Amino acid sequence: MVGRTDAEDLLQEIFLTAHRKLASYKGESSLGTWLFRLAANMCVDHLRRQSTRVAQVTDPLDDDTRGSDTREGSVLGAIDRLDLERALETLAPRSRIVFVLHDVEGFEHREIGDMLGITDGTSKSQLHKARMRLREALAERSVSQRA
Amino acid sequence: MMTNCQTIRPRLSEFVDDALDPQTRAAVDAHLAACAACSALVDDLSRLRSAARRLGPIDPPERLWIDVDRQVRQDRAIAPNEAAQTSDIGAVWQWIGLAAALVVVTLGVYAVQHRNAPQPTADISHANQTSCNAGATGSVETVEQELRQAEEHYDKAIAELEAVTRNGNASLDPDVARTLQKNLATINQAISESRAALDAHPESEPARDSLFEALRKKVGVLQATVTLMNEMRNGNQDGAARAAAGIGRKSGD
Repeated sequence: MVGRTDAEDLLQEIFLTAHRKLASYKGESSLGTWLFRLAANMCVDHLRRQSTRVAQVTDPLDDDTRGSDTREGSVLGAIDRLDLERALETLAPRSRIVFVLHDVEGFEHREIGDMLGITDGTSKSQLHKARMRLREALAERSVSQRA
Repeated sequence: MMTNCQTIRPRLSEFVDDALDPQTRAAVDAHLAACAACSALVDDLSRLRSAARRLGPIDPPERLWIDVDRQVRQDRAIAPNEAAQTSDIGAVWQWIGLAAALVVVTLGVYAVQHRNAPQPTADISHANQTSCNAGATGSVETVEQELRQAEEHYDKAIAELEAVTRNGNASLDPDVARTLQKNLATINQAISESRAALDAHPESEPARDSLFEALRKKVGVLQATVTLMNEMRNGNQDGAARAAAGIGRKSGD
């Protein structure tokens, strides 16, 4: 897990990179799209490096192939904030970014597609996989807490 | 026509988001009426979605902006030619807009890591509250506390965005400015009503969701306005038109 200090370092790094690269912005996309794409890619790279360092959350694929919907019936009660945050850490980097942008920040799939350079359909698919994986992780956590 | 669980399940996230076309939605509705397992999955996905919305954004500390400012100045001192080019493209207002937009994306990562990291000094109380929350889930005091914190984050983001839009309001087309004011008035009313409902029933999840939805809309409208101003100043008519349409769309989401 990366802590607050690393997160702040990343935010600074993104701003400085944006400032350094602003002169190369050609206006081919809107400034907002250019900036979002830069920030999102740096976040994904950061999470990938983090995943590589931390074995228990490593997932070599961008597509989170875990989280197949094998559990039957409702498995979630009231979702604790801390449990959800822990579960988010188990997601593959791109799935996690898509989930946070859509479900936490409220961006639309089209906007997320622009930021990450993926299609709307891929964004939708990543979101569904992320939610299924989170459901599984939360259910596992709930079972282990009861045990 | 989708009829079995295998074909229905990949679409359930879109169902929960109300993003399916009417025909597909009707097919999913029909399946759910007969399938308890898929209905339970929809319940779980809805709970997950509501819980994610309550996480909300987190503001970085003030000192971060001071550090960024210092490093940008250092950069300019090292590469004055590059800095001159940069200042042609990006005036101060543009950087304020960039800040508003960028914080939203970056804090997606930050939000998840922030609360779980060891918390120094001032944040110890928050960490303790969160830890206590794990053991006292659902207590009214804890929920109210978290709600207040989340509201503060929204309020701060809204205040910053409002400052940016106020400074650039004069450059907006009068029709767009009127639409903006009208939409913001509607959203402000929704915020007031939701707050009143929440004051009356602090434990009400629908009231809480409604408040955050209204706050989220307001942030969305203000962000679209910042984008519009940026596009207008860049002379990008297409981008400006898209952003103007976004102001209306964000208010009606």
